[in-house]
Amino acid sequence: MSLLEVRDLRAGYGMVEVLFGLDIDVDEGELVVVLGANGSGKTTTLRAISGMVSATGSVTYKGQEVLGKRPDQLLGMGMSHVPQGRGTINALSVVDNLRVGGISRKDSEVDSDVELWLERFPRLGERRDQLAGSMSGGEQQMLAIARAFMSKPEFLLLDEPSLGLAPLVTREVFDRLRDVTADTSTSVLLVEQNANLALQFAARGYVLEAGEIVMSGPAEELQGDEAIQKAYLGI
Amino acid sequence: MRPSRKRIWGSDAKSLSGRGPPVNNFLEILVVGIGNGATYAMLGLGLVVIYRSTGLLNFASGELAMFSTFIVWTFWNLGFPMWLAILGGMLGGFLIGVLVHKVAVSPLGDPHERPLAVVIVTIGLFLGLNGAAQLIWGTVDKRLDPWFGVSQITVGGVAIAWQKIGAVVVLFVMVLLLWALFKFTKVGLSMRAVASNSESSALCGVSVQNMLMLGWGMAAGIGTLAGVFSAPNLGLGTNLMQLTLVFGFAAIVLGGFDSILGAVVGGFVVGILSSVVPQYITVFEKMPLAPAFILILAVLLFRPQGLFGSKDVARV
Amino acid sequence: MKSLRGVGPVQSVLWAIALVVLIVLPFTSAPFRVEQYITWMTIAVAAGGLNLLTGYNGQISVGHGALYGTGAYTVAILVTDAEWPLLPTVIAAAVVCFMVGVIIGLPALRIKGLYLALVTLAVATLFPLVIEQFSDLTGGSGGLTLTSEQLYRGSIRDRRVKWESPIDGLASDQWKYFIFLGISIVCFVVIAAIVKSRVGRSLVAIRDNETAAEVSGINVSRTKIITFGVSAGIAGIGGAMFALNKGQVNPTSFTLTLSIYLLVAVVLGGASTVIGPAIGAVIYGVFIDVIAPELPETLESATPLILGTLLVAQMLMAPSGIVGWFHDLTEKVSRRRQGGGKQDKNVDVTVTTHEVVAETDLETDPGGFHP
Ligand SMILES: Nc1ncnc2c1ncn2[C@@H]1O[C@H](COP(=O)(O)OP(=O)(O)OP(=O)(O)O)[C@@H](O)[C@H]1O
Ligand SMILES: [Mg+2]
Repeated sequence: MSLLEVRDLRAGYGMVEVLFGLDIDVDEGELVVVLGANGSGKTTTLRAISGMVSATGSVTYKGQEVLGKRPDQLLGMGMSHVPQGRGTINALSVVDNLRVGGISRKDSEVDSDVELWLERFPRLGERRDQLAGSMSGGEQQMLAIARAFMSKPEFLLLDEPSLGLAPLVTREVFDRLRDVTADTSTSVLLVEQNANLALQFAARGYVLEAGEIVMSGPAEELQGDEAIQKAYLGI
Repeated sequence: MRPSRKRIWGSDAKSLSGRGPPVNNFLEILVVGIGNGATYAMLGLGLVVIYRSTGLLNFASGELAMFSTFIVWTFWNLGFPMWLAILGGMLGGFLIGVLVHKVAVSPLGDPHERPLAVVIVTIGLFLGLNGAAQLIWGTVDKRLDPWFGVSQITVGGVAIAWQKIGAVVVLFVMVLLLWALFKFTKVGLSMRAVASNSESSALCGVSVQNMLMLGWGMAAGIGTLAGVFSAPNLGLGTNLMQLTLVFGFAAIVLGGFDSILGAVVGGFVVGILSSVVPQYITVFEKMPLAPAFILILAVLLFRPQGLFGSKDVARV
Repeated sequence: MKSLRGVGPVQSVLWAIALVVLIVLPFTSAPFRVEQYITWMTIAVAAGGLNLLTGYNGQISVGHGALYGTGAYTVAILVTDAEWPLLPTVIAAAVVCFMVGVIIGLPALRIKGLYLALVTLAVATLFPLVIEQFSDLTGGSGGLTLTSEQLYRGSIRDRRVKWESPIDGLASDQWKYFIFLGISIVCFVVIAAIVKSRVGRSLVAIRDNETAAEVSGINVSRTKIITFGVSAGIAGIGGAMFALNKGQVNPTSFTLTLSIYLLVAVVLGGASTVIGPAIGAVIYGVFIDVIAPELPETLESATPLILGTLLVAQMLMAPSGIVGWFHDLTEKVSRRRQGGGKQDKNVDVTVTTHEVVAETDLETDPGGFHP
């Protein structure tokens, strides 16, 4: 049984349907990527899984049906969501952002964990008292990821971390991400447009087109696929 | 003589209106201004707390304060000691604030997307609270004794009522408590987070609705104190806070909508201006509100974020 | 309201009934009632003007009571001090208020939304104080009584102005009623003409998206300022009618409460519908002048409470007001009759108003409102 099983997921906004029955699996310790162009429904997929838009179908997490649960309930079950556009809390400092990330925790190690994450992301450590809103895009993305880890998640939903970042910065973010997910053995469902890079890091991938999965398979296979190369890799 | 004069003025009209002995001493006028400024700052603090947590300008906050001041009066009239009555009133205000948010405000969504709806709903609350107060306590003004008594001390030839000193001290205690809440506690952190980015905060497990409710409750509780300090001078009637509301708004416009420090500084500046200016510029003699109004206009036009507000608040 | 060409059968019947009622009413009511009807008209006119600004153009004013008051004082001063004949003062009031409106409209170019509401609220609060301050001109808190030189018992004296009916069988209050009804109708026809014109569409375009309006060639600043002026001018006509009707003005008539009630009339009847504010004003008038005095005393003092509760409830449940609600209803019925097929492509400006108050960032619901 997979960690996350999505079956026939349908969602939309008001009258407009966006997702037309998705099936997605994420295994324990795996990094899975969903590729898709602008407007294909990547963000909506993650929002539907974490209960931010209403959806039908089934989403089981650790064998339990979670569709309809609120984000804070999912957080309690170890699922954390980094929204598109990073979603840093701009009026708060780096440290305070991290503390908000750990706000649902009951243990007393939140403060020492904040320090831990500031060490893991040295660029954040150097800016601990800076307001999040005044940081660069790459720094904000790292902050958003670090903040998500503050809740000690076992499973991370990550929405387009490459958005608006220079290629070099994107690579740095992915490198960091790979290190920390390996360290903490966290599973990840990543949605991306940057197929080239994402497939280097992911184990498996799905391709989303206009709200439907049109292709899936191991990352190497997708990397080798001609259609993908044309559509996403620009080769 | 115009019997309604005390209503038309801000606090402490009597000592300025020419009915009593003329006040020539600049320092005494200044003291009056500082005393009034403290109450404006208190109401302003409530407005700031609501703005920070919900992004909303609450046109009903004066009426909320009036209502809970009546609750204070009720307890006090029953023989409770003043401090206990005030606590009771603050608690009552808190509960009403929570209720108001839950029933009327939170269904509205983002206040800056639907400004007309916000204005109408808060004005509906304004009418509703005013009407409810009339219904419960009648239309005859009640008398609420000054919390800190009627005696005064004389410092360097200037008489200062203990009530005014009390107002300033209470204000500072409140600011200190708020500052500590926002700075050191988990709840305060959550409130700040929600104010800045409610969606991300929800994803981090912060209960957004609870924080907003708390903000409304706190604002109403704080407003109670503004009412308690205004009532002895103005007479406790249902119009108690209508002018003070405009002064309170002037205070936070000047200080910055989201700044606690700004509300305090703004409150004192507005208090002092509206006491001093009418003494020297005869056109403003009967309308101490005018300098405050000019201040509102000028700040919104030329420095919409105020003195201490953050830039991204300036959505004007 | 739909454009006149598109008036459906239901609407035509309603219009006919309304017309008959308006004509018959002064003959079946006591004089004091007729005076009250005129007061409702003054509120209706002022609310109609406010609606142009707040409903159609999206500039929120909580201060139109001050403009209404300015109109009233203009009339009182011209009649009493400058010995003007009565009706021309109405035009003077409109002109004065237009100019005041333009002056207020200038800062409103930079101050928007809730902040404009805040500034206008301060204007409303300030107005009675200004009247008291300049008591030489305004009579201060004692107010002004409109007087004119009249022949009385053989000599010319300053006496309270009167409305002598020139028609036999028409009492003076009835005469007054029809004059003011005429003025009100003219005002609403002007409002309707503005709304239906290209200018009206620019107002809505500016309200919905200022930048887009600017890009599509609308002179946003000029339109907004002139709208403020026109809206103020119409509110001033309302105030002028008030002064002429009562024969007396007093600062306590023009407090914040008045401004609030103007806004209530607009929203209750239906913001950005032509006739909505008039309906709102009548409902409000009936509530305050007819129903409330009949209630037992405890309930009577509960009127603001009831009104406030109604207002909040309406905003949450039917934000487009009575006319908007009625429109949705007739639309639904007629669509069902036509087999649900045809959609009205030629959407009237006034139909597209729900979004003033009913937009969410997520989940746009065509039903117009969200939980
Ligand atoms: N709040 C919303 N209301 C209405 N429609 C929406 C909303 N959010 C997204 N949509 C629509 O749903 C569709 C899918 O959007 P989604 O944000 O899921 O795309 P995406 O794949 O994440 O695109 P991008 O790569 O640009 O982020 C789009 O057509 C979009 O217009
Ligand atoms: Mg997206």
